[in-house]
Amino acid sequence: MGRQLKFNIFRFNPEDPASVPHMDTFVLEETDAMTLFIALNRIREEQDPTLQFDFVCRAGICGSCAMLINGRPDLACHTKTKKLPDEITLMPLPVFKLVGDLSVDTGTWFRGMHQNVESWIHTNKVFDPKAPEEPMTNEMAEEIYELERCIECGCCIAACGKANMVPDKFMGAAAFNRIARFMMDPRDQRTTGEYFEVVGNDEGIFGCLGLLGCEDVCPKKLPLQDQLGMLRRKMGWSAVQHLFSKVFSRK
Amino acid sequence: MQAVAQARQAVRTEAVWDFLQMCTGVALVLFMWMHMILVASVNVDFGGGRVMNAIAYFFEATYMAQLGGPLIFLTMLAHFVLAARKLPFRVAEQKAMWVHTKRFNHLDTWLWIIQAVTAFIILVMGSIHMWTVLTNLPITAARSAARVQTGWWLLFYLVLLPCIELHVGIGAYRIGVKWGWIKRSHRQYFHGLENKLTLVFIAIGLITLITFYFIVKPAV
Ligand code: HEM
Ligand code: SF4
Ligand code: SF4
Ligand code: FES
Repeated sequence: MGRQLKFNIFRFNPEDPASVPHMDTFVLEETDAMTLFIALNRIREEQDPTLQFDFVCRAGICGSCAMLINGRPDLACHTKTKKLPDEITLMPLPVFKLVGDLSVDTGTWFRGMHQNVESWIHTNKVFDPKAPEEPMTNEMAEEIYELERCIECGCCIAACGKANMVPDKFMGAAAFNRIARFMMDPRDQRTTGEYFEVVGNDEGIFGCLGLLGCEDVCPKKLPLQDQLGMLRRKMGWSAVQHLFSKVFSRK
Repeated sequence: MQAVAQARQAVRTEAVWDFLQMCTGVALVLFMWMHMILVASVNVDFGGGRVMNAIAYFFEATYMAQLGGPLIFLTMLAHFVLAARKLPFRVAEQKAMWVHTKRFNHLDTWLWIIQAVTAFIILVMGSIHMWTVLTNLPITAARSAARVQTGWWLLFYLVLLPCIELHVGIGAYRIGVKWGWIKRSHRQYFHGLENKLTLVFIAIGLITLITFYFIVKPAV
């Protein structure tokens, strides 16, 4: 017989005026190769059809199933119950807007983020559909792809002390990663000064406390720490240079 | 080059504040190392005090103590003002950070809490310490021993020592991480190094306090 797993699950339906936030307990027998995806679906099918949570790909690709698993943000679909203790507490990701129970709205947040960092290639070149595509070295393409792997699950934001402190006033690691991706891209003509206008403040990279919660939880293992460091150094130096040029150009 | 992004107001002040926060932090770390060399030198001749007195004499003869002392105090104040900008001042923000820290239970996040708490202890106790030392120049081993051996001073230093070493150790590691000098590939190494150095510095500080308390002859 498998272990008896005890699940403490956060329940709250903001749409229902009678609903109050509380924890519900469910007990389930562990089966072979059980993931939280399987466990939650069984709970919904066998014990409580009103339980809300999100899954789409159940393969760690779509980023919709992120939640706090015993306090740590992670993808529920790729988390095996085998590596968890007998008692498992599931909470929705903080910072994001709660849809209900374990389901949060990461979409609106990420859309706002993309608008804010202007998440597209900025160029003055006019696109000519007949011209052959400009070549890019394989190494460069791979470096860019490494940062493109973000699945927008929101774990890095939920794990961020600063984002928890001031939810509407901090861009977060996913945004920094996105900016780093365009800074790396030779086709994007934005200057350091233009990037600075987006990230060079306390809501951006200078508000980052360097706690590396983001780095430690990213389920796709994106090199977030290295992007944060690169951004702070580049943006910091550009501000210091600007200051010196202002001081010394005065007569 | 022609601007290709939407025009926004670039405010560079916050970047400069953050840069200065790092600079004052580094300056204070370097100072703490020099400070440790001076004070721990009392152990070199087993509490005799000749080496420490010689170093202290050098600092005073060159006016480094008289000028440097107040300068360090100003650096500490500047650092306090700059770093405090990162602290949550609203109760709702403090609560959110505390809830997050307990729930997430993540080492680097706990270290930041330690840094924020020790900061205020250092602000008060560090100021008291600097005031008493700098208004009682010259610095000699015998005078320091007299202080450590009277009243509550030993206890005072037993609290201040680990607070400073923790704050400085964590701070140095986080400067490396935040400014990208410590990369992902070296993070574990530097984290370990920071822990070991902090322990070694606390140990040196404790040995020095023992020397002052039990061995050095106090000035009457
Ligand atoms: C006067 C009392 C002090 C206060 C209130 C204070 C406050 C702080 C705070 C809140 C941080 C974290 C900043 C952040 O998270 O970005 C910090 C960082 C730091 N502190 Fe202090 N501190 C004090 C004194 C000192 C002293 C005396 C030293 C060294 C001898 C020191 C060395 C550092 C270093 C190296 C850092 C890292 C700098 C950085 O993160 O940019 N601090 N301090
Ligand atoms: S950077 Fe990582 S943790 Fe953050 S949203 Fe992307 S995949 Fe998720
Ligand atoms: S390193 Fe910065 S972005 Fe990452 S969790 Fe910490 S404060 Fe947030
Ligand atoms: S369901 Fe798609 S990442 Fe988990």
